[in-house]
Amino acid sequence: MSTSSTVASPAIATEHLTRRFGELTAVQDVNLRVAPGQFFGFLGPNGAGKSTTIKMLTGLLAPTSGRMQILGTDFVENPVEVKRQIGVVPEGMALFGRLTGSEYLNFVGRMYGLDRATAAKRSQELLDFMQLADQPKALVTDYSHGMQKKLALAAAVIHGPKILFLDEPFEGVDAVASNTLKAMLQSMIARGATIFLTSHVLEIVERLCSHVAIIHRGQLVAQGSLEELRAGVEAQSAAALIASGTAPDEQPIAGEKLTLEQIFLRVVGGTRRIEQELSWLG
Amino acid sequence: MAGINAARRTQGQFEAIARVRWQLFANSLRTMRGRLELVARGFMFLGFAMLGFAGFAALGFATWYLTSHGKVAFLAALFWPIFLLWQLFPIVATAFSENVDSSNLLRFPLTRRSYFFVRIIFGSLEPATAIGILWTLGVAVGVAVSSPSLIFAAALTSFVFMGLNILLGRMIYAWVERWLAQRRTRELLGIVLFVFLISFQALGPLISHFGERSQPALTQFSRQALLIQRFSPPGLAADSIASAFHGNYLRSLGSVALQVFYVVVILWLLNLRLRAQFRGENLGESAARAIKPIGKQQATSSWDIPGVPGPISAIVEKEFHYLSRSGPMLFTFVMPMVILLIFRFGAGSGGARGGLLARATDLAFPVGAAYTLLILTNLMYNSFGGDGVGVQMFFLSPVRFREILMGKNLAHSLVMAIEMILVWLTVCLVYRPPSTAITLATICGVAFALLVSLSAGDYMSMYSPKKIDYAVFGRQRASGATAFASLGIQTAVLGLCALGLMVGRAYGRIWIATLIFLFLTVIATVGYATVLNRVDAVALKRRETITAELSRA
Repeated sequence: MSTSSTVASPAIATEHLTRRFGELTAVQDVNLRVAPGQFFGFLGPNGAGKSTTIKMLTGLLAPTSGRMQILGTDFVENPVEVKRQIGVVPEGMALFGRLTGSEYLNFVGRMYGLDRATAAKRSQELLDFMQLADQPKALVTDYSHGMQKKLALAAAVIHGPKILFLDEPFEGVDAVASNTLKAMLQSMIARGATIFLTSHVLEIVERLCSHVAIIHRGQLVAQGSLEELRAGVEAQSAAALIASGTAPDEQPIAGEKLTLEQIFLRVVGGTRRIEQELSWLG
Repeated sequence: MAGINAARRTQGQFEAIARVRWQLFANSLRTMRGRLELVARGFMFLGFAMLGFAGFAALGFATWYLTSHGKVAFLAALFWPIFLLWQLFPIVATAFSENVDSSNLLRFPLTRRSYFFVRIIFGSLEPATAIGILWTLGVAVGVAVSSPSLIFAAALTSFVFMGLNILLGRMIYAWVERWLAQRRTRELLGIVLFVFLISFQALGPLISHFGERSQPALTQFSRQALLIQRFSPPGLAADSIASAFHGNYLRSLGSVALQVFYVVVILWLLNLRLRAQFRGENLGESAARAIKPIGKQQATSSWDIPGVPGPISAIVEKEFHYLSRSGPMLFTFVMPMVILLIFRFGAGSGGARGGLLARATDLAFPVGAAYTLLILTNLMYNSFGGDGVGVQMFFLSPVRFREILMGKNLAHSLVMAIEMILVWLTVCLVYRPPSTAITLATICGVAFALLVSLSAGDYMSMYSPKKIDYAVFGRQRASGATAFASLGIQTAVLGLCALGLMVGRAYGRIWIATLIFLFLTVIATVGYATVLNRVDAVALKRRETITAELSRA
């Protein structure tokens, strides 16, 4: 099943994007289309190829084959130009542990070509917004996980990127920090930025994202708006019900919409029985 | 029963640790890099083995000679180099020393005793320990061959001396690491060293004064120094053997007992540190700050180096922040000055008239500069090692790797320049101001050597990166391949510089060396530019390996 939106000039477009690691094909023939201004959720089970895809889209990993265009510019041919326009919170957050928060933000600002005054001003604003301003001399390595996530996000946006790539931004983040992050992301969307996000927290994705793609075993198995995915899954379920006479495990209560989690589990075939009782536990 | 179970559990843990280390080693051989690392380590092992056995033979012969001729009073002169090597080698040759960082084992249910032994045993697996043991055995064998009746005394003394050195090294590391973890103590150390260096300004004339006019006073001073020396570990080891040689077994045992007492004190001090670590001590600075009132973070402006593009300035600033917060690095940076002092007043000084370099003072500045270059090996040949996972930032940013490496190179060159100034000042204070000709020749020689090291270092940083934590002391170093390659390159480069200086000195015209170095610098500049033009392609090709290697937990 693959439903795609028709977009005139996509913010992100890939064609047959493939990445192999020796014998293993981590990502195969992925054709993504993300329109400008979309809040795009990229989902998949563990090991499905989410991080590999996002690494390719941000220049951390070279594709084995296929093409990637960011805002109409070919990434492989013009990586520096593309990098200027994107912000990234990668899997490892890419922080320099032995700098203070302020020093790190200034550093990143300068790396993205901001002048000293602008970098300093934006650093201050971001530290205030992210509520990181009350530990002036703490090194990043001494920050809590949530604080590090907030700092990584602050660093990703300091240059005002047109596209933001976020790899698991809410992982290990408490509700307070999560609210701050969401507020920032929503304000960016309101101003016309595009956000490409991977997350395992499907409730957050459902609440934030207008469009979703699901990758499973390296292949894109679904792509479109939430409504499009829901319609696709319901149609598929109806067909399965007619064919087999049995309903899928995850059924919505009558009159309610399928949740993203239900859609996700249907698409990736996610129900798994515990084959073995771990009798020694507890 | 409980005791037996505990012992079995401890044994199981030790076996598991040994097995996991073996598995890590075996797994590392799956990659070409791992195999190269093994080859490099093999060569280094050969080098250290040669050093160890050469020392064993030399010290054995020297001991045999002294003991056979009844000059046992001079045995301390043999124990001192061993002692100094054992304690200073890991700091002086950081590029080739590594202690296994076993502190991460604390997440497992290790008992404090087990943790203590793991730290001691795995922490001792380093070249200095192996060489130190071999050299000490050399002394013991020398004594035993010349006087078989002293076998027991030699064996006992050597055993205690070896144990003391192993524990002392671990204890010093543990405490220095603790002190240097805090900014305040780092600053304090800086002040102490500054005062220490300044005090030598007075010491030089003082020694000349005593040397020329007041021989009795000097003799008395030497006597007092010798008396103190007698109670030092090398002095006690020597005294133990010498006393046994003279048939004074009680005094011999007394010397051993005093050494054992030192061992107990060292163990106690070491235990204090390891106990704190075991209880989950955090060496970060935030704990100390937590009690202070919370202030508001004011974003400070970044550096703006005139004529240098913003991103390069930012990288230079970042490197300086990193280095200034790394106690171990700062400690390493002090070593050139310490080495100059050792050469001036330390072993081989032949009395107050000066050491090896005191007889050829014009070489003090070049020697200090050469050593400075060596201590920067870890930095230049593993430029991204301290960045860890932060290296991703470089790949994500719209800055070419050429510029990133230029920033790193500029920072390391500035460190080198600062170190050179400090070395020059130390030479001026402790020896005599180097002549303009020598100063110029050294600067040109360093320019050449630095450019070669930066060129090779840029490549090695991308081909053989290894994550290091600037905050921990003596537990990490660059990869074996990097250490081996850097050793070869530095030897060749410094050898060329030494040759140039020798030619200049032989003809009595140092400017010849300056000309040679200038010529070499021009060639090295071309080479450096070529390397810079290629680094972008290399970084792109190796980005996955670099990020994977530096993002390891």
